[in-house]
Formats: sequence, structure tokens, C-alpha cells
Amino acid sequence: MTKSPFENLRVIDSTYVFAMPYAGGILGDLGAEVIKVEGPGHLDIVRGGQFSGGFPENDPGTDYWNRSASFNLLNRNKKSLTLDLSKEECREYLKELISISDVMMENYTPRVMRRWGLDYENIKKIKPDIILISNTGYGHGDGPFSAYPAQATTQEATHGHCYITGYDNDIPSKAGASYVDFLACWSGLFAVASALRYRNRTGKGQWIDIGMYQLGVMGTAEYIMDWQSNSNKSGRFGNRHPWRTPQGTYPCKGIDQWVVLSIGEDSQWNDFCEIMGKPNLSSDDKYATLLSRRANHDELDDIIAKWTVQLNKYEIMELLQSKNIPAGPVFDSADCNLNPHYKETGFIERVEYPESRNMGTRKIMGRPWRGSKLDARIRRPIEPLGSSNSEILKDLIGMSDKDFEDFKSQGFIAEQPTTIQNVSPVPLEEQVNLGRLAYFDPDYKTKLGI
Amino acid sequence: MIAPGALDDIKVLDISQGIAGPFAAKILADFGADVIKVEPLTGDFGRTMAPFHKDDPDIEKSLFFLLLNLNKRGITLNLETSTGQKIFKELVAQCDVVVESFEPGYLNSIGLGYEELEKINPQIVLTSITWFGQTGPYSNYKGEEIVAYAMSGIMSISGTADREPLKHGGFQSQYESGINGALSTAFTLLMRDFTEEGQHVDVSIQEVVNSTLVVNQPFYSWTGAVQGRRRSEGAGFGNVMPCADGYFISQPGGGATWDDIVKFYGNEALHEEKFANAEQRVQNGVEFDGILTEATKDRKMHEMFKSASEDYRMLFGIVQTPEDLANCPQLEARNFYQDVDHPVIGKIKVPFRLFNMSETPSQYRIPSPTLGQHNVEVYTETLNYTKEDLVKLRELEII
Repeated sequence: MTKSPFENLRVIDSTYVFAMPYAGGILGDLGAEVIKVEGPGHLDIVRGGQFSGGFPENDPGTDYWNRSASFNLLNRNKKSLTLDLSKEECREYLKELISISDVMMENYTPRVMRRWGLDYENIKKIKPDIILISNTGYGHGDGPFSAYPAQATTQEATHGHCYITGYDNDIPSKAGASYVDFLACWSGLFAVASALRYRNRTGKGQWIDIGMYQLGVMGTAEYIMDWQSNSNKSGRFGNRHPWRTPQGTYPCKGIDQWVVLSIGEDSQWNDFCEIMGKPNLSSDDKYATLLSRRANHDELDDIIAKWTVQLNKYEIMELLQSKNIPAGPVFDSADCNLNPHYKETGFIERVEYPESRNMGTRKIMGRPWRGSKLDARIRRPIEPLGSSNSEILKDLIGMSDKDFEDFKSQGFIAEQPTTIQNVSPVPLEEQVNLGRLAYFDPDYKTKLGI
Repeated sequence: MIAPGALDDIKVLDISQGIAGPFAAKILADFGADVIKVEPLTGDFGRTMAPFHKDDPDIEKSLFFLLLNLNKRGITLNLETSTGQKIFKELVAQCDVVVESFEPGYLNSIGLGYEELEKINPQIVLTSITWFGQTGPYSNYKGEEIVAYAMSGIMSISGTADREPLKHGGFQSQYESGINGALSTAFTLLMRDFTEEGQHVDVSIQEVVNSTLVVNQPFYSWTGAVQGRRRSEGAGFGNVMPCADGYFISQPGGGATWDDIVKFYGNEALHEEKFANAEQRVQNGVEFDGILTEATKDRKMHEMFKSASEDYRMLFGIVQTPEDLANCPQLEARNFYQDVDHPVIGKIKVPFRLFNMSETPSQYRIPSPTLGQHNVEVYTETLNYTKEDLVKLRELEII
């Protein structure tokens, strides 16, 4: 018996964009063999375009599709297979692969898998104990939205988050980036881990059907309960807290530098007034209690901002944290890449690419959890498109040389995209001028040690 | 018929409080684990979190506590007494998982750290969910939702460029970390089935939120570029826009061609060259936003949602309110809500089902516990204390 559930665990990852590819990447961190399957004419859109997160040194090189930042982060560890699943003869080979796999991941709309004969009922006939994970915007079944096209950006409104997010008394707003995709990624991983345990105990596989919409709605659960029980419609209060006061985001010394702080207990308030050099404030009737601070929050914000703007964001963090007051700087992505805490926990991992890839060494995030005896790490970069075509199709599932060559000539399998886009990134300095970037740090490689 | 649970062979002690830890333990419970919530005599501070049923701030009426603690039995135990610690160890000997959310070092300080628990039960999985994780220079810093949002990097790109960074509404970092607590525990249990060894699982809320920045974060390592917040207007698609009775967001793509989108908005001006691609729509954003606003000012959001999604296959979202969500037919069809009959609150509909598993679905068994509700049951049946013992333990303020 093997000593790891991930050894000899084969996962077919026929998924795109963020949610499921990320889950597949993390399964690879744990040691599973993950095969990313893409149609040569239907590549994962994060290989280029607005979700790509850029190319090394902003240079798409001669094979842009293998080089983007987010694609490489999300799909680490994976083998790459191309197969045009819209073709019946390709699906036959996919079925061969399914028959020797443990987990299949897909995020097509519900009707696509049915049309392809790859819905759970059919997949189960090929591999009775397969674990199939389907991720869709609204979930399978006969609900009225089930067939609606979906993407995290538009779902953020529909699943209720924009309603509760926004500046105080202002219009609803978005926050973050593709939030619900990550809820789906993590829920999928929980479900896969549970389903594998169950399969190991009973021999039974199953179908995991994730609808991102309801995961997003769960994040507003307390608001829904409040409406039900109290008809309370309170929605947006910016950066404030429902009961801790003061809480907010305040300007610091420098350009676009901010600190947040959150004060609940009166003792924290007293300490904070001392730190600000305004000890009298804590006994001022206007601010002495949680309720009076709440009533005068706007005025209080002005007083706090006049103090914070004189100091560096880290200085304020240290001053407040030394008195056990929750506070911290607003980190930008450079801070997150370079901050000593992120470094020391081991969260940011170093990924070295083979010389031939011309990608150098990059730092990318691992996983937000560690097990003292769990061997989870980024094992290797994803390989170039279609690198495992021959190994998987010929060696593993016995495709003949003739079929392999036929498939190649018909464009069913390939090592480069059917349509090569004209990818020419705008120079970074220009993007700063256009307001698309906050800034560009030319010394990033030295700072990162790459 | 009651279906099997994927984790119905697992026993969990939930000594966590608030949102993230209890949510993690609840997910384990929903999929079959037998979860005993262990509270201090004053209760989980989650019992003091709004909203409350009928706005009555009674510790048995927090609706937030209710939804995070379904499917758990509840006992009280004072972990700061040596008798309480001994009883806790007796429970640990019989359990598989402990979920906790204390400050790093606290459990060690009361003799209940991982090394101690491992001695009692080598198979125990201790899952710690904290703001900054168990190691590193910030591990003992105080966190809050807004601090996690700030120090994860996500606030720097949230809100608009002309204003301060904006936090996501509600308590998203803690919901997110609850799911991560559950998934890391499940993987560890899967591992344990092979190695017969437990381990200490360390979940960092800060890193959970940072993990969502899969475009923004590596952008720096790839190019040195740092993104900021969007402009408040003229950013084209992907922003919240007003309509007659609410707000919506639309995006190009989905199954819709540009022709479809122009037809949906009913304004031929959108065919002009200056709106032909994303770059140009940003450059001419103010005018673009103006056309959309004009086209939708008399249209209702639910009707637009249906038409855009069904007739034009567009990527389209509407800003639904909690009331909309409470009455949503799609959530109904997915059995998202669970009818719960709580001993104090009474009958109430609770957001419950996260996703479907065909063989081992999440299942509702019992409401959230009242404080100490299962003391007698757990202490006399799981452990062998007598009722007389319990009286003594009560007098000594141990349970």
C-alpha cells in the first residue's frame, strides 16, 4: 500500500479560467497527477488577454500562451494535453483516459456535457467509481437561472455582494477580483477530499455539482437572516464595522498610502488616544463610549486622519499593535510579494523554470494553509502546451501512431494554438500614464531575489 | 432515508469562536461529522454577534451564531481550570479533529497545544484558524476583518482611485477561511487514512484572502507592475450601473456577440468605431457609460436580467438585495435554504446548502445548540461522568 493518497491519483482537469484550474493546481501541490485538457482552438483564456496578469518582463516571447502569470500560477504542476472535445473521435479517447482516472473536473455549461455524452450518468458507465466535479455559475438542475451565462464579475452583483459593499451611503460597488471563483475552488477541494475518503472507504464514486451563485450568497447569509427576522435592509457602511467604533481606512504619509484600524473595547480606545497624543479625547463625552463614538464617527475620522497622515503606514501598525489594537497597512501587490511575514510563513514559493522556457525564476503564492506532516508544495511549472500529448495518448491509452498523426494533421491535437493572437502588451510606463497601473517597480527582480 | 455522510466516521471538537472556525466545523458537520461545540461558560462570543432574532440581543437569539453552528451539539467547559483541561483531554482521546481559533500560543499556555494533544491521541488533527497563521513576525498581531482585507492586498484594488481603499461588505475573509479550514482538515484526514498520523493544520486568514489575487499578485513577480483602484467613471463594462429600480453589471462575452449586446441596449451608437474594443471603450468610457445609463434608466433589473441572460446570452448581473435573495427561485430550486426549528428562536429559514454531492449530500440534523444544551448527554454518555459529578463540576464553574 502506498503511504500517500495522492500517489497514483490521476485527475483530468478539463476546466478554464480561475476556479477549477486553481483547484487542480493545488491537487498537484499535494502530489496528484493532474492532466490539463484543452481544445487547440479553445485554450484557457488566462493564457492571454485581460486575465493573464502579464508576461515575463512584459514580453510575450514566441509562445505567449505558455507564459502568462496567472495561467502559470493557477496551473502549476500540470501535464498539458490538447484534445478537441467537440469532435466525437476525440471524446472517445477522453473516455479511455477517464476509465483510468480517479477524478474528472469540468466547468462547461450543463448542456455541453450532456450533448457530449459526458454527463455523470455516462461517465459513471465508463468508470463506476469516478469522482466528477462540475462547476457552473448557477448549478445543474431545473432552476430558472441554470442555463444563464455567468462570470464572477457579474455574479458579484447577483449573489448579493455589491449590495453590501460600497462607500458609506453611496451606490453599490464591486470589491476584489472574481471573488466567487475562489469560494468554488476551495469548496471543490473540500468536496474532492471528502469524496476520495468516501470512495476509499466504500468503493463508491460520486458527482459533485457546484453552483457558484449559492456560495456567494452564503457570504451574505447574516444579511438575509436580518431581513427575514427584522425586515432590516441596512446595506452599505463602507469600511466601518457593525459594532466596533472607530473603524476605518485612513491616509498615511506618501502617495496612496493607507492604514486601517479597528477599535472595539474602551481600553483600546483609551490606549489609542494616548498613542495619538490626545489623552483627553478618551474622556470627552462625544467619544467616551462606543455609542457616542458611533454617533460622532465622521468627526472622529477627521481627527484620526489628521494624525495618521503624518506617519508611515508601518509605524502606525507597530504603534497600535504594540497596544493590542488591530491595525495594519493597506498592502499593494509589491508589499504582499516582499513583506517579511509572507516570506517567513513560507506562503510565497520560488518556482524555477528550465532554461529552455526563457521564463527565469518566479515567486508565486502557494496555499494559505500548512499541515505539519502534509507535503504540499509547488512541484514544477506547468509544461508547455501539448507536451504530454504523445505520452498520454500513445503510451497511456494506446492511440496508434497513425491516429496520432491523423489527429495532428486535422488539428485535433496540437502544440500551439489553432489561432495565434496578436499579443502585444502596452509598455508598463504607458499603462501607468493611462491610469491602468498604480506604478511600475523596475527593481522587482532584485527585490524578489529572482 | 438518511444518506451516508462523507465524514460520518469523524468526531470533531469545535473550541473555536466567532465566524471562521465555527463555519469550518459546521461544514464538517453538514457532511456527517459528529461535532461537539465546546464553549466557555459565558459562551462563544459569536452568540453576541448581530443580527438577533426580532432584534432581541439575547445570547440564544443571535442569527449569526445560529447559521454558523447548525448540526453541532454543544457543551460548556472551562478550559482555564486544570479539571477542565483534564476533561478536554478525555474528549480528545475519543475524537479525530479539534478546530480552534485562539491566538497562537494560547493552547500551549494552558497545556493543550498540539504536542500535548498528540501524546493523548497520535491520530488527532488540530486545525488552527488565525488571522496571521502560527508562525512569522505578525503571528501574534491582532486581526479584524478590515485588517485581513488591508494586509492581504485586496483593498488596494477595491473601491475607486479617487477615494480610500474599500473593504468588501460583511465578513468575507472569515467565510473564506472557514472553507479553507474545512478543506485542509479534510485533506489531512484523507492523509491520515494512509499514515495513521494526525497533524497540526495552520490556516492563515491573511493568506486566504491574498490567495484570491491570482492576477494582481503574480503580475509583480512577472513584470514589476502594481495595480491600483479603478477610476470612478468611464471604466466601461464591469462596473455597477443604475437602472429604473436598482443596479446592474454587464460584461461582454458569454454567448453574446457585440451585435447581441447592441440589440439588448437598443442603441445603434454602440456600433461606432470608438466602442469597438475594450481599449476604446475605456478611452471613451464616460460617453459609453452615458449610453448605457440612458438605455436602462426606465428598465427594471429583474426583467433585464432575464432578457439579457435568456434572449441574448449575455454576462449580466443585477444587484440583488437580501430580500431578493431570500425569495430567489434559483436558490429554492437548489435547496439552498434549510427550515430550522430552534428551541428559542422557533421556525426560521437558514442559508445552508453550499453544493451538491450525489452520494454524500450535506444534511441537516439538528439546530444550533443552546449554551450547554448537551452537557448531560456528552458528559454522561461519551464520557462516564455521573449526574452527581456534573452537579459538582457546575458548582466549581467547570461546566
